[in-house]
Amino acid sequence: MQKKYQTIDDFLSDSSFKEWVYSGKENEQWDEWISRNGNLVELLEQAKLYLMAMKVNEPLITENEVNEALSHTWEKIYQKENVWYFGIIKYYNQHKALSKIAALLLFGLSLVWIYNRHNTHESTLAYEDLIEKQDDGLIEEANNTTKPQLVILSDGSSVLLQPNSKLSYPKFFDKNERNVFLQGEAFFEISKNPQRPFYVYSNEVVTKVVGTSFRIKAYKDQPEVDVVVRTGKVQVSSNKDLTSAFKTVVLLPNQSIRFQRKSLMFDQVETIVQTNPQGNTEVIESINFEFVDAPVSQIFESLQKAYLIHIDYPEEKLKDCYLTTSLSDQPLAEKLKIICESLGSNTRYEMNGNQVSIFSTGCN
Amino acid sequence: MAIKISDETLWKRLREGDELAFSTLFERYFRSLVNYGNSLMAYSDKVQDCVQDVFVDIWIYRNSLQESVVVKAYLIASLRRRAFRMVERDHIFNKATSDEKLDFLIDFSIEDQLIHEEFTAIKVKRLNELLNQLPSRQKEAIYLRYHQGLNIEQIAETMDINYQSANNLIYRGLQQIRSAWPEDFALVLLMISEYL
Repeated sequence: MQKKYQTIDDFLSDSSFKEWVYSGKENEQWDEWISRNGNLVELLEQAKLYLMAMKVNEPLITENEVNEALSHTWEKIYQKENVWYFGIIKYYNQHKALSKIAALLLFGLSLVWIYNRHNTHESTLAYEDLIEKQDDGLIEEANNTTKPQLVILSDGSSVLLQPNSKLSYPKFFDKNERNVFLQGEAFFEISKNPQRPFYVYSNEVVTKVVGTSFRIKAYKDQPEVDVVVRTGKVQVSSNKDLTSAFKTVVLLPNQSIRFQRKSLMFDQVETIVQTNPQGNTEVIESINFEFVDAPVSQIFESLQKAYLIHIDYPEEKLKDCYLTTSLSDQPLAEKLKIICESLGSNTRYEMNGNQVSIFSTGCN
Repeated sequence: MAIKISDETLWKRLREGDELAFSTLFERYFRSLVNYGNSLMAYSDKVQDCVQDVFVDIWIYRNSLQESVVVKAYLIASLRRRAFRMVERDHIFNKATSDEKLDFLIDFSIEDQLIHEEFTAIKVKRLNELLNQLPSRQKEAIYLRYHQGLNIEQIAETMDINYQSANNLIYRGLQQIRSAWPEDFALVLLMISEYL
């Protein structure tokens, strides 16, 4: 509320007034204001009528449409920046004398660059190097089996660690950021927390997110690092410690990027048409978590398959329970919580390693 | 419990080349810009293009952007200039020499959900008619002020007129409605307020 309302404009341009009118609810502050300013009630009532008569129908724009427009905008930017680059080449071709100077300059610069590269003996960063720099104790989870292994982090995020892969993480995360270290391949579902960004360090690549799901492939003996985004938005960079040509790329859902470890460069961003080209139905990305009027048994079945866990639940009591819910963008703990809450107040879950137990007396 | 990062901070980061800040601002204002764009151009695919191009230029010229701006007002003004250029280009062969090339196309509608009495409904309907009969520029100024929340200075900047003219557009608009507003309504209002 502002201090003074003297004209109709004072009311109409005041967001707290608009909020109050549009909410259609009682508000003590305004009731009090009215009782103190009887002479202005007429003006206030008029302002209300104006608001009712000034509605603007806004077209519904879904989040997907916004994301699409954003992707498209980035494409336009890349195109425009490339056109500039070719424009410069053309300019120098037309000015032959200048082009010789430019060529000399370029030659000189490349010498400097080669010299610098020669002097930085470490051009790759491995998992061990990354871990070494961390002074406080990290927990390491290594998957030496042949099946993906589920790791639940202290913030509720879930990680599906693939065979021959390792993940290091602190028991409790820092107040301001969440850092984990990966060698090999894993699928991440990060619990949302914008104030506490989540960083995955994998070889030379750093992936930053606030809450989303994505897969990283960063094997020690492979020449590339791949990041594939399923939901949300991810920022991928080369590790700052390593390259002077630090670069950042933003990925949106169903986009992927490849980092060449040798040249320390990113390839072009690619859009994935099919999330699972190998047709491997065991991969978590291929499992649909959008349920419409689905029996809970089916939902639990999908969870078991996706996370390779075992869920114990009272089948008889829950046999008539159906749910419509969207669980795509949530880590496992969040998925379980949503299911239990939807089933009603007398349902809860407990998790112990790969074993999940659902306790319930039935659904509402 | 998401704390919203302020426009100013995002703007600063954007100028430093932060792609995430750029994307966040895009997501924050895309809808309201498309909404305003729709009021200026009849073809929605052109509106989308225009809004995207506004952001493309912001990124490409990020190094020469002003340091302190009211982001929303800046975006709205950029969009209007761009829409104006586009409409002008389309008209250049038609020799349309109207000085108001950019018409404000939106009609205000009625917020039915808030109206519970027939008497109010009648009054709101009349007021709505009066608002929609205002000249295009007055309507646009009123829209920018009360829907997009711009101040007079920002409206002047957006519509490329001086402060006094912008002030007049709004003041005259409201004045015109007041004079057409039947006296008895005001009287009845007084009576109603006594019952409260």
